Amino acid sequence: MGFPGFFTPMFAWLFLLLGPLVLFYYLKLKRPRMTIPSLVLWRQVMRDNRVNSPFQRFKRNILLLLQILLLTLLVLAAMQPFWRGGEQTAERLPILIDRSASMAAIGAPDGPTRLDLAKEQAGRIIDNMSSNQQVSLITFGRSARQLTGFTSNKRVLSEALRGIKIEDVPSALDDALRMVEAMARSKPFDRVLLLSDGNVPGQVDFALPYKLDYRRVPPAGANMGVTDLGARRAFGGESGGEGGWSVFVQVQATDDQPMTGTLQLIQDGRLVAQEPIAPRRAQSQRLMFTVNAAAQTRIEVRIVPRVFDALESDNRAFMVLTPPRPLDVYIPPTLAAYRHAMQGFTGVRMYPAAGVDTAPGDYDVLISDNAKIDEVRARTNLYVGVVPGDLRDMLDVAQAGDEFIDWRRSSRLLDHIELSDVVLLDEVRWQDGAGEEALENQGYEVLAYGRNGPLILRKREGETLSYHLLFHTDRSTLPYRIGFPILVANLTRIAMQEAGLLEVIGDRTGVMRPVALAVDTTYRITGPDGYAREERTDEQGRLLGVPAPRVGIYRLKGGDGDHIEIGVSLLQGSETLMTTAQEIHFRELSVAVTASPMRVNRSLWPTLATMALAVLLVEWWFYQKRPGGRNV
Amino acid sequence: MAVEAERSRVTSLFSNDVLARVERLRMNTSRRFTNRSSGEHLAGRAGSSNEFADYRNYVVGDDLRYVDWNVFARLRRPYVKLYHHEEQMHLVLLVDASSSMLFEGKLQRAKQLVAALSVMGLFNNERVSIHAFNQANSATSHSRPCRGRGSMRELFRFLEEIEGGGDELVEQGVRAMLKHHRGRGAVVVVSDFLTPGDLRRTMNMLYSRGLEVFGIQVLGPTEIDPEVSGDLRFVDSETNETLDVSGAGDLVGLYQQYRLGMERELEQLCRQRMGRYLMVDAQSPLETLLFDRMRRTGWVVG
Repeated sequence: MGFPGFFTPMFAWLFLLLGPLVLFYYLKLKRPRMTIPSLVLWRQVMRDNRVNSPFQRFKRNILLLLQILLLTLLVLAAMQPFWRGGEQTAERLPILIDRSASMAAIGAPDGPTRLDLAKEQAGRIIDNMSSNQQVSLITFGRSARQLTGFTSNKRVLSEALRGIKIEDVPSALDDALRMVEAMARSKPFDRVLLLSDGNVPGQVDFALPYKLDYRRVPPAGANMGVTDLGARRAFGGESGGEGGWSVFVQVQATDDQPMTGTLQLIQDGRLVAQEPIAPRRAQSQRLMFTVNAAAQTRIEVRIVPRVFDALESDNRAFMVLTPPRPLDVYIPPTLAAYRHAMQGFTGVRMYPAAGVDTAPGDYDVLISDNAKIDEVRARTNLYVGVVPGDLRDMLDVAQAGDEFIDWRRSSRLLDHIELSDVVLLDEVRWQDGAGEEALENQGYEVLAYGRNGPLILRKREGETLSYHLLFHTDRSTLPYRIGFPILVANLTRIAMQEAGLLEVIGDRTGVMRPVALAVDTTYRITGPDGYAREERTDEQGRLLGVPAPRVGIYRLKGGDGDHIEIGVSLLQGSETLMTTAQEIHFRELSVAVTASPMRVNRSLWPTLATMALAVLLVEWWFYQKRPGGRNV
Repeated sequence: MAVEAERSRVTSLFSNDVLARVERLRMNTSRRFTNRSSGEHLAGRAGSSNEFADYRNYVVGDDLRYVDWNVFARLRRPYVKLYHHEEQMHLVLLVDASSSMLFEGKLQRAKQLVAALSVMGLFNNERVSIHAFNQANSATSHSRPCRGRGSMRELFRFLEEIEGGGDELVEQGVRAMLKHHRGRGAVVVVSDFLTPGDLRRTMNMLYSRGLEVFGIQVLGPTEIDPEVSGDLRFVDSETNETLDVSGAGDLVGLYQQYRLGMERELEQLCRQRMGRYLMVDAQSPLETLLFDRMRRTGWVVG
């Protein structure tokens, strides 16, 4: 704290009122005349040293002194003095406030959340703003949101601050930093304040063009939560039999000592299993439950802690398990090699099949060598020997030899496949001016390369996953290789995963997964904390991009009364473990946490106004009190 | 009836009842005075009274009738008995009639007290004279020395005609009085004594003229216990001088200290000059003053 400053120093001219005050005091001091028999005794009194002591002189003029003091305090209050905090010299200050899941953690039972503490710090800045300062409030979770533009209106800022709510999502800082950078183009500033619990990415791919003041709120207490929830289909000999699922739960904790509690497994609202848990920081705990799901079933896992648990939102996780069914695969008879390879797999129903007249409207897998096959729709597709229509002007297939030069071994389709000795009779070549970047711009990913062009492509369009073998396998040695059935098996596995028949993981907060509902229908969606909105399905009956910011059950209800429930969970190890970043590394520099306490300007005018009121009361009391000092 | 009673009063200063009671009182002086005339006070010489006073050594020429032969038989030396000599006292009554005495009935009370003391003196066959001072640099009015009951009305009339107002100091009044006074005796100064300067010199002037000095200080209730507060401008009633006082209420305690100090000083001055001192409240009943306080304090007997 240095020398106090003044927000409105122009009011110093009011000190000129001291002159008239003193003048009127003495003019007004028309003493009442009192004729007495003699002044002899009173003269002796007035000559007494005790009357003429400095204290008595002070007492005689005490009313004038009190009025001078009162005027001084009022003028100083009007000048709005403040102790300089050193933090608010900036004319414009954007404040980034973390609203991610970990900000809901508390430090002690019934204590404030980290967000409350961050709001308190931001509130102090807002309350002590000078009239020439402007603040902008931006919150970030998965994405950034600007609550207010630059304004000096404390009421607007305070209201916006109060309205900030937690989102049960992990924090993504870069979106907020980019938003702030865009703001700087129109209203420049040189400093940004970041208020967070520190649970932000340690690495951000961003070139920081301004000074970032990174402030951490005090850490929360110990926490444990569910960080992973998944299920794997249990087949045949595995426990659970037909329709059985193995549910896997991972629980982690932040404390070095075991945090005890109970993990409950609830199936369709009924408690079906529970296990004691005691995770600690160095050792997470994994549990497995067996669940039968003859029909679609909702699974909820819930932690009931026996010790203090800082964050509640990570104590619940949800998952929907679908009943078992065979994988519907369409392979035209012309692709005999594929039909042959597929026949070896259990749980697969292949179409067209002899003696089967009906077919599902949608298949799980389509393998085709025909680009146009409109009557068959599948979630997972493998096109053989077909160049996609949107790539025809980039790629050319010639009847010349080719070979696999390189492929993505990490690709699920090519897992455990050796392609180096496969001979191809078709050669895929780039056309002039085309390259991989153009393919990527179209949404394609190259999985394998030939001598002069790509050989295998992958593309995801919403729920649809497509693989393109640009060469025809019948004009290659691939079907004769051990890799070919592995390829088909990989494709089958991928399709089962896409259809949710093999593995399921819990839905996470953020954006709800696409839901297949009635076509072109409006659904009312309600969720935790009064969440309510209406969304309309598209022409394919899908509900896409529905935000799900809080952990809990979301109910989707259509006009005809049908409704489904979807549970979303946090399932973020970083949020549960509340890992804090001491330093955030940007492209060119690193920003460390500011350890020193935030010093804000502290307005002094309320103190001065209170003192002025006290002086006024003293003056009133002094004027009203009875004379004393009589000796009888 | 009341009008008739009023008409029958001897003096307007007090009622006939008070007068009747005063007539039976006598002022009590503490020492013996010598005077050529005979009065009803005891003198310290072989006098005509029967009251033994003292012994002294026999010297040639003393009357042998006064030798105590019993003492001679015991001590083998002659001693002469002394008896009190009854002498007449001159009682001088000095009234302060300056402007300061015009507050709260002080002058009226002073006149009443002087009237009562003059009656006591007259009825005890003493010579009484009354002097009044008020206006500076003007002649002090005074009565001729009177004796006997017949002079009562004359003195009453003199007192009743005294008008207050003026700025004469006590010392000036005393000086003026001593110009006209002859003889020794007692002087009673009735004033508020709120006068600048040292009264010691004034008292010494009186005492050196053979006058036993008695002082009666008459003060008003607001002088005894002022009820003042705030910032005031006091105006002296005699000199019109002003004095600004701030926080007067806070200074009352100090004022009381000085007033009581003045009383003590006056008492000491009078006592050292064989007299007495009395402070009276001008508003307190006259009967209480004359027949209670003055008796209890030894001012009067009877």
